[in-house]
Amino acid sequence: MKDVYFPDIAIIDNIRDETGDVRTFTMRFKDPAIQESLSYRSGQFFEVSIFGVGEMPISITSTPSRKGFFQLSVKNVGLVSAALHSLPPGSQVGIRGPFGNGFHYEKVFGKDLLFVGGGIGLAPLRSLINNVLDNRKNFGRIAILYGARTPGDLVFKDEFKVWQNKPDVTMLVTVDRGDESLSRACPPAAGESREWTGNVGVVTTLLPKVQIETESTIAFVCGPPVMIPFVIKDLLRLGFTDDTIITTLERHMKCGVGKCGHCCIGHKYVCVDGPVFSYREMKAMME
Amino acid sequence: MKNSKFEIRNSKFPPDAGIWTITKDNLFALMDVFIKTREVIAPVQGHGGEVIFYPIESIEDVAWDWQYVNAVLPPKRFFLPQTEIMFEYSFDNGCRITPRYDDQVRMIFGIRPCDVNALVFLDRFFGGGSLSKKAPDQEPLFPDSHYIKRRANTFIIAFGCHQPGENCFCVCCEAGPFLEEDYDLQLTCINEGYVVEVGSARGLKIIYGNEHFFRLAWANEVQELARIKHDAVNKFKDTCAYMSKAIRRVTEGKVDDSLWEKLGERCFDCGGCSYVCPTCCCYNVVDVPLAQKGGIRTRIWDSCAFAGFTRIAGGEILRSDKKDRLKRRFFHKLSYQYIQKNKRHGCVGCGRCITTCLADINMPLVVDAVRKQ
Repeated sequence: MKDVYFPDIAIIDNIRDETGDVRTFTMRFKDPAIQESLSYRSGQFFEVSIFGVGEMPISITSTPSRKGFFQLSVKNVGLVSAALHSLPPGSQVGIRGPFGNGFHYEKVFGKDLLFVGGGIGLAPLRSLINNVLDNRKNFGRIAILYGARTPGDLVFKDEFKVWQNKPDVTMLVTVDRGDESLSRACPPAAGESREWTGNVGVVTTLLPKVQIETESTIAFVCGPPVMIPFVIKDLLRLGFTDDTIITTLERHMKCGVGKCGHCCIGHKYVCVDGPVFSYREMKAMME
Repeated sequence: MKNSKFEIRNSKFPPDAGIWTITKDNLFALMDVFIKTREVIAPVQGHGGEVIFYPIESIEDVAWDWQYVNAVLPPKRFFLPQTEIMFEYSFDNGCRITPRYDDQVRMIFGIRPCDVNALVFLDRFFGGGSLSKKAPDQEPLFPDSHYIKRRANTFIIAFGCHQPGENCFCVCCEAGPFLEEDYDLQLTCINEGYVVEVGSARGLKIIYGNEHFFRLAWANEVQELARIKHDAVNKFKDTCAYMSKAIRRVTEGKVDDSLWEKLGERCFDCGGCSYVCPTCCCYNVVDVPLAQKGGIRTRIWDSCAFAGFTRIAGGEILRSDKKDRLKRRFFHKLSYQYIQKNKRHGCVGCGRCITTCLADINMPLVVDAVRKQ
C-alpha cells in the first residue's frame, strides 16, 4: 500500500523572481521514473515539504502538456514559503501529490473561455491557460483579464506578450494603483523609472472592455478571497450562470488527502472535493 | 435479490463459533500468556483513582469490570497517538526520508462497546473504506497506512456493559451497551466467570488455541446472557439524547445561530471535547528537528475548537468566531451529509464530553437544545 504521507524528493532546477515576494521554482523529481509517470490536472496542488520547517499546499503553475518538469509559484508569506525562498538552485525538497480535483478542462471543449485572475491567483490559471493554448483547436475565443495591486506585483509578465500574440486571445492587465512607490513588495530602486501607462482599477473594470458571448463562455476565476465575490457578482450581471462560473477556494490543507480536517467546509473537503468548485457547488456548501 | 450487505450486518460471525465460558482463574492464566507474547492494553487504575487504558506488565495491574464503567480517555491513542511519527528525514548527502511504522502486536482488553464503535467509525474514515465491512461498496480513498497497520495488529477483547455510568447514552447512538459485531471476543461477567462471544476468525483461533481454558456455555448461561443484555438497556435513564430530530434540524440548516452564539460565549476554546472524543481525529502536521542534520515529521492531535485551526497563508482565520467553530463541530457530528460519508453519526454516547467540558457544552445538551429550539 502506498503511504500517502510519504513525500518524494524533487530537485529545484531553476528559480525566477516574478515580483519582490513571488518566485517561480522549476523542479523535477529526483527519481526519473517518478518524473516520467507524473500526470496532473491544471488546478491540482502539491504538498511541498521543507524538511525541518514543515509542509504547505501549492498549486501547480506549469501545464501538464509540457513534460519533464513542473513549476510552482510561491509567495513569501509564512514559515515554509520563506524557507523555500531561501533555497538556492540544486536544493532538494519533498513533494506529495498531485492532490485535489483540478479543472476538468475536457468538459469545456468547444467553449469560449474567460479567465479572471488577481495577484498570485494567476498561478493555477496559468497552468490552465497554457494547457488550453497547447490544445488550441479544442477551444473557442479566449479572454484573459488580470489585475494586481501595483505594476510590481504582476506575475508571469514575460508570458503576457506570448499569450497576446496568439490568435483569438484577448489579454488585458490592470493594476489597482499605478504608483509604483506604493508597492510594499517591490519598491523601485533609487532613480529607477517604472512608469505605468496601462489600465488602472480593480480587475472587474476590465470586464466591459472585452466582448463576451455569455451563453457559450465558461469563466475561470482565481484570486484573493476579497476579489472573488466582486467578480462573481459582475459575471452574474453579465449573464453567466452558477454553473458557468468556476472558481477555487483557499484553505491550509495539512494532509491533502481528506484526513486532517483543516480544509472542511460543510461536508466538503477542499483538498479532495476541491479546490476547484463551480459557483453552484460553492453556494450549496453549508456554513 | 439478496442484499449481501444486509447479510453481513445481521449474521453472527462465525455462525457456528458458539458461545463459550471462561472462569476468572482461567482468564487470569490466559492473560498471562498474552502478556508474554504481545503488548496488552488494559484499563488500569491510576494514582488519582481514575481508570485509563495503559500497557500492562502483569495481570495484577488490571482494573476489572466491576471497578470501572469506562476509562476517562478513549483508547484512540493506540491507533492515532497524540503525537505520531510519520517518517524520519536527514540531510546527509541530499534529502533522505525513512518511513516509520508501528508494527507492535497489541491486544486491547476491557474496551467498551461505545469505544469499539468509535473504532469502526475511524476504520471507515482512515481506511477510506478499506477496513470497514459496513461499506464494501466503496473504493478505498487515500487509505492511511499508519492507522491501518496499528488497527490490523490489534486484537479486541471487549467487555459488554451491564451497568451504564451516569453520563452514558450509547443506547441512543446505536453503540451499546453490547456489541453485535466488530469485535474479536466479547466478554460479559456472569456469576463467577465470563461468557465469551466470538466475533471474528482470529477470535475463534484464540479459543481453539487455548481450548483447555474454555468450555461451551450451558443453555442456562446463554439465557442469562440474553437477560443481562436486555436488562442493561432498561437501566439507562430516561433523560437520554434523542438524536434523530436533532440530526434532521442540523442537516437542514434549521438551527438558529443564536444557539451557537449562546454556547460560544461559554466555550473556553480548550479543545478538551475533541481530545476525549473517541471519534475526533483531526490533526496538525509538525516537523521536529532532532539534530543539525535530521529530524522527524509528526502529526499531533488538533481541534476544530481552536481559533488557529483554520488559519490560512497570510494569517487570516476563517472561523474566527467561537460560534462558527461550535456550529462546525456539531455539524460534523450530526449532519446527514456526514452520516452518508461515515455510515453513522459521529457520536457513540460515551459521555466523556459531559465529564470533561468546563463550560457544560456536550452532546446530549446540544441535541436537546437543537430539538427544542
